[in-house]
Amino acid sequence: MDEFQEILQDFLVESFELVEKLDEDLVELESTPDDLELLNGIFRVAHTVKGASSFLNFDVLTHLTHHMEDVLNKARHGELSITPDVMDVVLESIDLMKALLNTIRDTSSDAGIDVSECVVKLDKISGGDGDVPVVEATPVVEEAPVEVVEATPEPQEDEIDYDNMDADEIEAEIERLLAQRQEEDKAKRAAKIAAGEKLPDIPSESGDEASSKPEAKAESKPASAPVATTPKPKATSKPKETKSSADAKAAAPAKRAPAQVEQTIRVDVKRLDHLMNLIGELVLAKNRLIKINDDVEERYEGEEFLEELNQVVSIVSLVTTDLQIAVMKTRMLPIGKVFNKFPRMIRDLTRELNKKMELEISGEETELDKSIVEEIGDPLVHIIRNSCDHGIEQPEDRIEKGKPEIGTIKLKAYNEGNAIVIQIDDDGKGLDPDMLKNKSLEKGIITEKEADSMSDKEAYNLIFKPGFSTAASVTNVSGRGVGMDVVKTNIEKLNGIIDIDSEVGKGTSIKLKIPLTLAIIQALLVGVQEEYYAIPLSSVLETVRISNDEIYTVENRSVMRLRSEVLSLVHIGDIFEVDRILDTSEYSYVVVLGLGAQKLGLIVDSLVGQEEIVIKSLGDYLKGIEGVAGATIRGDGGVTLIVDVVALMQIAKGVKASAATAQASVAQISNEKTQASDYKIMIVDDSKTDRMIMRKALDPLGVTLIEAADGQEALNILKSGDHNFDAMLIDIEMPRMDGYSLASEIKKYNKYKNLPLIAVTSRTAKSDRMRGVESGMVEYITKPYSSDYLSSVVQRNVNFKSEFL
Amino acid sequence: MSDKLKQIINKQSEQQDVGLDQSEDIVQLVGFIIGEEEYAVPILTIQEIIKPISWTRVPQTPAYVLGVFNLRGSVIPLIDLRVKFGLSSKNHNDETRFFVLKQGDEVAGFVIDRLTAAIRIKKTDIGPPPDTIASEDSMIEGVGKQDGRILTILKVNKLLARDF
Repeated sequence: MDEFQEILQDFLVESFELVEKLDEDLVELESTPDDLELLNGIFRVAHTVKGASSFLNFDVLTHLTHHMEDVLNKARHGELSITPDVMDVVLESIDLMKALLNTIRDTSSDAGIDVSECVVKLDKISGGDGDVPVVEATPVVEEAPVEVVEATPEPQEDEIDYDNMDADEIEAEIERLLAQRQEEDKAKRAAKIAAGEKLPDIPSESGDEASSKPEAKAESKPASAPVATTPKPKATSKPKETKSSADAKAAAPAKRAPAQVEQTIRVDVKRLDHLMNLIGELVLAKNRLIKINDDVEERYEGEEFLEELNQVVSIVSLVTTDLQIAVMKTRMLPIGKVFNKFPRMIRDLTRELNKKMELEISGEETELDKSIVEEIGDPLVHIIRNSCDHGIEQPEDRIEKGKPEIGTIKLKAYNEGNAIVIQIDDDGKGLDPDMLKNKSLEKGIITEKEADSMSDKEAYNLIFKPGFSTAASVTNVSGRGVGMDVVKTNIEKLNGIIDIDSEVGKGTSIKLKIPLTLAIIQALLVGVQEEYYAIPLSSVLETVRISNDEIYTVENRSVMRLRSEVLSLVHIGDIFEVDRILDTSEYSYVVVLGLGAQKLGLIVDSLVGQEEIVIKSLGDYLKGIEGVAGATIRGDGGVTLIVDVVALMQIAKGVKASAATAQASVAQISNEKTQASDYKIMIVDDSKTDRMIMRKALDPLGVTLIEAADGQEALNILKSGDHNFDAMLIDIEMPRMDGYSLASEIKKYNKYKNLPLIAVTSRTAKSDRMRGVESGMVEYITKPYSSDYLSSVVQRNVNFKSEFL
Repeated sequence: MSDKLKQIINKQSEQQDVGLDQSEDIVQLVGFIIGEEEYAVPILTIQEIIKPISWTRVPQTPAYVLGVFNLRGSVIPLIDLRVKFGLSSKNHNDETRFFVLKQGDEVAGFVIDRLTAAIRIKKTDIGPPPDTIASEDSMIEGVGKQDGRILTILKVNKLLARDF
């Protein structure tokens, strides 16, 4: 059973691949019905699927493909011309074939789909003019349909013939057949099938395999049939005849180029995923190495080994990057895989909608990550259907407008930086912004006020709103009012952006911009207070620095003017619940996020830079946190959260608090000193006596004093945020964390940039003073000192108001 | 010399036998302190115990979820058991540890005040939790008594279950 499953898997993989190509070929065939090469190719697909399915006992599928094969066989012998009507039936049968394959995949059986109607149609076509005895083969083919199921006995007789021969005779027979076959040219091949010692033809093959496997095995011995999927009985002759084809292609007509060994292997996607994960780890380690290298460089400047270290680090980082690209490439598939189904779709729509349309595809070789290729199909179907249905006009309308009768839809893909762009252009009637606005008003999607202030571009984006449909009548092609909405969500899921442009009467152009891969992305790191967040760079349009008075408040929301647009703003701290402790900076950084059609300005405290990050999940315990797409590990080993831009846009809508005013009020509260005790000063010294002395010196001022016994404790008090300190008096010599380290730790926090740190120490050397300045101390008081001196230094640094004295 | 060696080996094997005999009704736990009380979890559910390292806050989580930290390349949630058990949070000190518990695919780090010891306790010494707090949702597996001290044994699956 396991073996069967394995064969079944291979069969399915192969069949789906073949069928995928079939659609495209068939549509092409309709335009060039005389292309024998193409016909042969299509025929081979039907044949291969038939051969394999009969081997696996899928009778319904075999039955269907067999009849398809008949029709195609006639066509390639020129007995049948491919008219659109014929093509309709063939396409229908291919659809059935797909449905059957899907059923097989899901249930391991092909029951439950009725193919008889389609088979009758196929028969009609192949029987209609099949009597013309152009080639001797015709009778055989004619006979075939009847035989499919009952064919079993006849081929068995054939086999008995073979069985009665001994090995030598068979060898001789093979030799003879081989020689014969080589002599005959392609046109007569079919004739030879009938003539040449009753070589089992197509139907008998299916019968054989289904019913007489044991015999088949015995028989195939002398010929040493090499491939498992090769139908056994005919293996005696066939593998030698057409070595190039591993599958059942005995009747394959064209003598194909000699054995073309495929230079590919199939790899389980899971293994590639695993490999990708490992590369991810490596990228993280590389980032870390680079950071360490920088630190070492700083500390041991000028040392000789540095150069060597530098070299190693750059080699490692280079190779890692190459490796990452290489592995990413193994996961890449050409987008053609998705594009392939569209010619067929356009063809169907052309007939269904009575329009004349043409599809031009370019850039189908552009490659994308497998997971994205899988996701992109549906959105594209929706967009193209929409263009066909709503975009392209009826032929008579087009002629009236002086356009070519046949509408053109252009589908192209190309790379742009780290992203791929898929562009869908049509030369239809275009989008009318006013019409879109009216429609949206009618449906209550937008308010009148919104409609008035809407630009054309914004109006185009209305088609992506849920519940919007521009088609007056609902057709089964599009117009159920869900399509474009789905498109938007799907593209956004892939971190993609949709851009839409249109001109009334000229056509519409939709651009999808999608990142190449999902696992490792480029991100912009931003800081807010002491936290950092990573924003996927694909969603970042630009960053701007604005002064705080450029932020306006409209309807309780912050906005700014960005060139000609009004951009709504939200502070990242409001979204991620960051306690905003006073920030006196009069400038803000705004990261302009673009997602599909939406734009949003995200205010952050600082911009750190661009970095390549590996997306890691937060695990089950923390999954589904709004606004967080995952986490990544930074070069310093810390964890940084990745912003989920889609969710962020949603959350931002609910955030009313104006970032700017909130900030201002916080600043005011903390700055306002109404009495002396509003001033808070921390004394950090490990000696209780020294703390006492300082306390004595400052008590007369009436300020609030808080004591800490060492640097660590001081830092914890500071971090707890219970107090807003106006200054700190710091001893240098302390256990656990000394004054210098404390000062540099404190200065790491944005909010403490302006907190005055005053060193109070018995160290008097100049070098100590220098270190103090380096670590961020503003004053340096050496012990012993007078109370008045200490008091005056503190007063100066906290801007002590003289009225409190 | 060789006699001595033999003796030692014999002795060791005897001890092992004794260990095996008891293993059926002995549970191995690791005890730790949170606030004033001693708690314990089965030793096999502990992936590792580490000294506190830095972590990253995660927004929109309850107060007892401190955030996430990096454990050799994995991003793991960090939960403060003090806060979870209704105590006020406390600054980390030299005795603070991160307990990394694992069950199936679920992994999380828990902040505890102090580690006590690995404990071998007879199953018979473990009683059910008091009736007043015994319920499906309770985090308490049972109460162990040993040498006059009382251990609250916690359900690891409950600790690792997301409850927000």
